[in-house]
Amino acid sequence: MTALASPKPSRFRRKMNSIWTYLSKPQNTILLALGIILTVTTIFPMVTIVRDTVRLHPGSVDTNANAADAQVEVMGETYTTYNWTNLFTDNITTRVGRERVTRSVASIYLWTPLLNSIFISIFACFGAILYGGVFAYLVTRTNLKLKKYLSSIFIFPYIMPQWTLAVMWQNLFNSNVVTGGNDGLLTSVFGVHMPLWWCQGIFPVSIVLALHYAPFAYILIGGIFRNMDANLEEAATILNTPRWKTFLRVTLPLVKPAILSTILLVFSSAMGSYPIPHYLKLNTLSTQYVGMSSNRAGQASILAVIMMLFGFLILIVNQRTTSGRKNFTTVTGKSGQTSVVNLRSGKYIVAVIFFITTLATGILPIILFAIETFLPNPGDYSFLTNGIAGHMTTKWWMTAENVTENGMYGQKGILFNSEIWNAFGGTLIVAVLCALCAGTIGTLIGYCVSKNRRSKWAAYVNNMAFLPYLMPSLAVGVAFFVFGSNVGIYNTFLLLVLAGTVKYIPFASRSALNSMMQLSGEIEEAAIIQDIPWWKRMTRIIIPIQKTSIISGYLLPFMTCLRELTLFMLLCGQGKIITTMLGYFDEMGLYAFSSGINLILIVVILLFNTLVNKLTGASLDAGIGGGK
Amino acid sequence: MKKLFVLMLALILALTSCSFAFAESTEDVIAQAQTMTLEELFKKAIEESNGKDFYAVGNSSRGKSALPLFVEELQKIDPSYTLNWDWQQPKENKIFDQLTEDVNGANHVMSMTLIQDGNQIQSKMLDTGILLNFVPKDWTEAEGVAKENNENPLALQTLNKVFEYNNLTDKTYTNMWDFVAEGEAPLFMGVNSELVGKNFLYMMTNEKYATWAKDAYEAWAGKNEEYDALIEDMKLDAEDLGITGENANYGLAWVYLWCEKYNEQTDDGPICNTLVTKSAAGQAGLLVYSKLRSVEETAESSVNNVTVAAYQDGYTGIGGYAYKHYLMLTKTSPLPWTSCALIAFMTTTKDGFKAWGKDMGGYAPVPACMQDHSKDGYVDGVDTYPAKNDRGYDWWLNEGHLVVEDPAYCASVSGTMSDWIDGIVSSK
Repeated sequence: MTALASPKPSRFRRKMNSIWTYLSKPQNTILLALGIILTVTTIFPMVTIVRDTVRLHPGSVDTNANAADAQVEVMGETYTTYNWTNLFTDNITTRVGRERVTRSVASIYLWTPLLNSIFISIFACFGAILYGGVFAYLVTRTNLKLKKYLSSIFIFPYIMPQWTLAVMWQNLFNSNVVTGGNDGLLTSVFGVHMPLWWCQGIFPVSIVLALHYAPFAYILIGGIFRNMDANLEEAATILNTPRWKTFLRVTLPLVKPAILSTILLVFSSAMGSYPIPHYLKLNTLSTQYVGMSSNRAGQASILAVIMMLFGFLILIVNQRTTSGRKNFTTVTGKSGQTSVVNLRSGKYIVAVIFFITTLATGILPIILFAIETFLPNPGDYSFLTNGIAGHMTTKWWMTAENVTENGMYGQKGILFNSEIWNAFGGTLIVAVLCALCAGTIGTLIGYCVSKNRRSKWAAYVNNMAFLPYLMPSLAVGVAFFVFGSNVGIYNTFLLLVLAGTVKYIPFASRSALNSMMQLSGEIEEAAIIQDIPWWKRMTRIIIPIQKTSIISGYLLPFMTCLRELTLFMLLCGQGKIITTMLGYFDEMGLYAFSSGINLILIVVILLFNTLVNKLTGASLDAGIGGGK
Repeated sequence: MKKLFVLMLALILALTSCSFAFAESTEDVIAQAQTMTLEELFKKAIEESNGKDFYAVGNSSRGKSALPLFVEELQKIDPSYTLNWDWQQPKENKIFDQLTEDVNGANHVMSMTLIQDGNQIQSKMLDTGILLNFVPKDWTEAEGVAKENNENPLALQTLNKVFEYNNLTDKTYTNMWDFVAEGEAPLFMGVNSELVGKNFLYMMTNEKYATWAKDAYEAWAGKNEEYDALIEDMKLDAEDLGITGENANYGLAWVYLWCEKYNEQTDDGPICNTLVTKSAAGQAGLLVYSKLRSVEETAESSVNNVTVAAYQDGYTGIGGYAYKHYLMLTKTSPLPWTSCALIAFMTTTKDGFKAWGKDMGGYAPVPACMQDHSKDGYVDGVDTYPAKNDRGYDWWLNEGHLVVEDPAYCASVSGTMSDWIDGIVSSK
């Protein structure tokens, strides 16, 4: 019998077979699909915003008579280079100190805001790391008293909408003599006048941003401290190395990745912050963007492009400084040992210091919010200064009609105000959908990337998923605004959920990736040998094992969405979600409403956090840090 | 079969072209609607929109209060009438982008708008044909209607922002130049956060108002050589900016000093809340007049701590400025008849204007729509808070010397003046 040689399959056939083999693994198919989706949802809005810089905007400078020469026809569409040339090369005549001067357009609209943005981002990083890092060390590596209480309160500024601390800063330190307007609490009660640099500008903006993002540093750095192998420090101690040297040469290098992660994340977040500079009167790229959008719409988009470039720059820095897993959190070591430094009597003193600082940043705002909702006029503390207890009111909560003028600017009380509750409902819808989408996609990315550690495509998808987080929120918001307007979904939940999902996937993907990396492949392989389908392996093995991290990946987008303003403020009307409504009330000076809403938000976030913590063991500070 | 298919295709094509031929453009509807009475428009609206979705977008949230009353009116004619409405209020000047994308995009949702900022309306909405003006017949024929500056585009109301100051010190402000004198820092919304404020500054270079500025300067006690030199020097700026009026340099000088000195605030609400307090003694501001209505009297705050500058005997110069809320249809309005009916309802009836008319400081062109606020400061028949007694539209225009926004003028100078102002503000 002669065996017939089977014909060699064609090259096409072989290629198809290899593709089929590749795609037969669920993680590859998912990775391919997510790669395409993320490329579209991340890159397309960015392309749209770049295109907006060369589009014509009727009623804007690029359609003025002197801009006509800059117009070019491309495939039947008219574009212009005017926005770029005018911003970077043109001059205008104006007045400075009564003198007629010629200034470059960029010096008015770009350089100062750009420098301010960079400064506040650097200072915010420094402040957040110093405050959050020291606190993380004290909580995880010392015998500090009141750890549990302090740890819970420390994350409050991150839970609260970021500008609430800015409004509180104003209410505390402003004074008629220095800032103009009426006196803040400190001046009213104690007659203290803080200097202008303390009340407005770079200093308070940096401090408020640092306080807001310090919990970030605490979560990231604390995660490392908690899991750090104490043997290394003990070895140094045995070698009689001074404690400070051990800290500088052993401890600090171990937390370096977490410090770097904090810098990368806080820098971009601070750069994109709009409300804090807005309230504390600092001209940054974000505030300048909003200010320019009427007369220089195309140039405003250039500012957004510059903010995006910072995002790319941060991504490159991250690529250069991390290796292997390209991991931001770098949970090192598996040793269960941790050495606790005995602070002796210092454990009480330091606890008192942090008790006071967390009281000021976490509890005091809540108390002030509560008081504000009972004041007769916004900021009118006459019950304190005049001792008249009768000058408090429940009208901001209890007024059921808006026909009679009750000094409420035509609004009903919070409990009866359907607009507030509708906006709150809108926020819950957005937060739940964003959490579900971002959490699910992020978990899948984490799983698939961990299964394809050496794949370039996996690395690409991982980076693409993380890129929006490194982009300032306002830049992402602008990109989705232009995109949403072009496709007719402005002011819809769809647009909000899309933007929120893309922005918050990193919360889930980082959390999932960190945990999946720690999962041995053998666990799943055993199930594969048993021919267990993929979905069953996921639901019965992978997810149950890593449920804490995965739930954190859902929880963080949910919490962040609840109090997000900068990302969403350009994407919807003011009554759509609660933060745009809150921002509206704050701008209008109706602090009783904004304070009441803040209180409700904080209570809701804490309730959810506690509920999820009780049910699953996951909690807010177990997210990006990769778990406690 | 083939023939049948071709026949059906031809039929579909014919029907499609007929439907296109018979579809009324918004312009056609407006032309017809302008000859109809309010009741006729109501009937057309019922025919067009019963049970449908109606979307509008506005700078004022009070459209939400007017729409239910409008539906109630239509239900008086047809009790089965329903309308699913959505009144949106975009943030951060995005109303213009939203309307532009809605009209230029493939999916047209917005039927009408209530919009402010004459400059952008002119250059972005009217010059581009995105918004169309509709003037109701009942409005044109209304008794005593103030047509000047209110007809094209059609104004729902004129709002005033007026100079006020805290009167708990001896300091008084009896001339518009007092607000920009050395050491002053009047409270004002940022010119790029509320653009009607920038329009006011543009309007100050208009010859009519620049002449008021000149007259006030001549009568000002603080007049000196330094200011004289500045005013003279401003002729160069006027030339650069292409402003040709004889007294434009007076207007520009005042604008320059204002931009150099004003203390930026997020909104008129906080300005009002500040000015009425004891701790703001000697402070001044330029703010929406109606904000005074919402002050609750306490030991710390009182309306009586504030003086409306123009209400003082002997006050010289402008008392503030007026801007308008305009009502218009989008070019691609899905429900143009309903939009016309709603606009007519809001501009010609007391109920339609009720949401705005209930407060002082807002003036409808049709007197019949207005409510009297001349005694809002009276308590139990006693004039307790004189600052709240609104002297009315005519008084403010003629005696109070309001600077009134003119969209066409603003659009003509904004191209150059906007940068000039930004340059001053950014170097403070």
